[in-house]
Amino acid sequence: MMGRLLFKEVFRELLANKINIFFITLALVFSLTALNTIYALGKSAEKQILDTLANLNFGKDALLVLAGGSRIMGLTTTRTDTLLMDDIIAIEKLGFVKMTSPFTGGSVEVSYRGKAEKVRLDGVLPIYLQANNWELFRGKFFNEEDVKNFNKVVVLGYEIARKWGGHNLVGEKIKIQDQYYRVIGILEKKGSLGHFPLDERIFVPLTTAQKRIFNQNYLRGVKIILQEDTPLSHAERTIRKLLRERHNLYGIAPDDFRIVTPEMVVARHTATSKTLSAFLLTIAFISLVISGVIIMNLMTASVEEKAGIIALRIAVGAQPWHIIKHYLISALILALVSGIIGWLLSILLMFLLSLLTPLKPLFSWGTFLLSLLFSTITCITFSLFPAIKASRIDPAILLKGL
Amino acid sequence: MNNILLQLQDLHKTFQIGKISYHILKGVNLTVEKGEFLAVMGPSGGGKSTLLNILGLLDKPSAGLYLFEGKEVSSLIMRDLAKIRNEKIGFIFQAFHLIPWATAEENVLLPLLYRGKIERDDVERAKVLLERLGLGKHVNFKPSELSGGQQQRVAIARALINNPTLLLADEPTGNLDSQSSKEVMDILEELNKEGLTIIMVTHDPEIAKRAGKVKILRDGVFVD
Repeated sequence: MMGRLLFKEVFRELLANKINIFFITLALVFSLTALNTIYALGKSAEKQILDTLANLNFGKDALLVLAGGSRIMGLTTTRTDTLLMDDIIAIEKLGFVKMTSPFTGGSVEVSYRGKAEKVRLDGVLPIYLQANNWELFRGKFFNEEDVKNFNKVVVLGYEIARKWGGHNLVGEKIKIQDQYYRVIGILEKKGSLGHFPLDERIFVPLTTAQKRIFNQNYLRGVKIILQEDTPLSHAERTIRKLLRERHNLYGIAPDDFRIVTPEMVVARHTATSKTLSAFLLTIAFISLVISGVIIMNLMTASVEEKAGIIALRIAVGAQPWHIIKHYLISALILALVSGIIGWLLSILLMFLLSLLTPLKPLFSWGTFLLSLLFSTITCITFSLFPAIKASRIDPAILLKGL
Repeated sequence: MNNILLQLQDLHKTFQIGKISYHILKGVNLTVEKGEFLAVMGPSGGGKSTLLNILGLLDKPSAGLYLFEGKEVSSLIMRDLAKIRNEKIGFIFQAFHLIPWATAEENVLLPLLYRGKIERDDVERAKVLLERLGLGKHVNFKPSELSGGQQQRVAIARALINNPTLLLADEPTGNLDSQSSKEVMDILEELNKEGLTIIMVTHDPEIAKRAGKVKILRDGVFVD
């Protein structure tokens, strides 16, 4: 009964000054919408990368070993010609390894019907399709025979095929560095990983790439699919130890290879958007503080305006904490209302953004709670001063004069 | 059995505004017995409102003693004063001071909000009080929908909801027409007959006549 009466009192008081609550809510809603949207878009970009990776079978049970050592992805600081097929065979013998898909690759000049262009070429084994969860769109992939005989066959990425004239390319001949290769298949579309276009590549048998195109016996890297639920750190340690032994690296000699986990790839592809998100989030926080100051301002004005009513409450027996509680409850109501509106608006905004950009809207209760949390913290913090001020009003003002 | 409700002994009140200090109450002595109806009169600036503020524990004296129900209260902390105000003292103001967005019933229940709990009985009691004061049909009306006289009767009901021992009225008829004034004074008289102690500040001699006892406060002291 009492809670209801108190709540009613607080609520009616809030509604008594609609312009005031409109501005408080507006200020909060703006900054909360910004905060939510930025946060959710960041999350959405990250999720997109994760989805693409999972689609490439580079989810949790996979590792990538790249030739050449360095601290991060990018330029190498050691030799890059030490990763050999024998290493792959040794890795494959480890108990937790389900399959390995070695590859080499580089940029080559390719011409078709007299038009030449630089294209990324990967030399891979038939297991590549399985290791990357990839299907053919047309034709077939090369087989063990092609690998054994260094056959001059090529499979095109979806976008390359589209650029060169669509689906009829199977059976055609294209020229890769002065030699003719027969197109035997086209891969299905995979999209892009961050900014890396997955479908703008061509594929030849690994041996063909090594002997005929690049003239090298080493590999660029290997994708390793682990048995399910293998601890990643354990696999990483074991493979590192094995490769260091095989490459005769002891003591402080640096690794001449890198082991890349899915998280590292995600981190690399979200690094820029993370920086941007952090920057925008900071701005959103500042706007939240500004709306907090606006709340403080309006609440203080409102407390001054209602001094008589507050004095009356004190006169009929309200303790200071009754008054403080009263204004904090009204702050909480405003916080919840603004939090919910801000969250809904950010969902709407994300939906509109998703129509204009490749970002997908992300629905999550996490951002909902985040929104409520931030609006509550802001409202309570900035209402504290006006509430305390209200609790100190002198009830003697009720009787005017001396 | 002690029949004294409150006692003021050599009570002083000084206000400091900037560099100037105003000595408003200059040694007030007053004894109010239970069941008394006292009207305090006097010219403006004579200290009537200041006295009422101190009697109502809304303000503290600068010097002197205030015994309420035999207990010295001028040295109590704000929290204890609020408790006494809540439980023992009812207020009626010239400007009514009702909460504009609350209904008559909710206004009456307001003091209970700070007592700790409100029970179904209390809501019933508020209704009975309003009914007794002739507002049975106006329980759910807001102050703006009531006449001045009706608003003051809501304020009286609010003052009575906690069964106070002392009712303080500051110019209770100051904002009312003569008909409403008469009604309000009838109510106060009736309450007094039932045993409620009332101290009323007014400068209308006609109104003061309705009280059992009249005292004049001039220049900070009672004169005979």
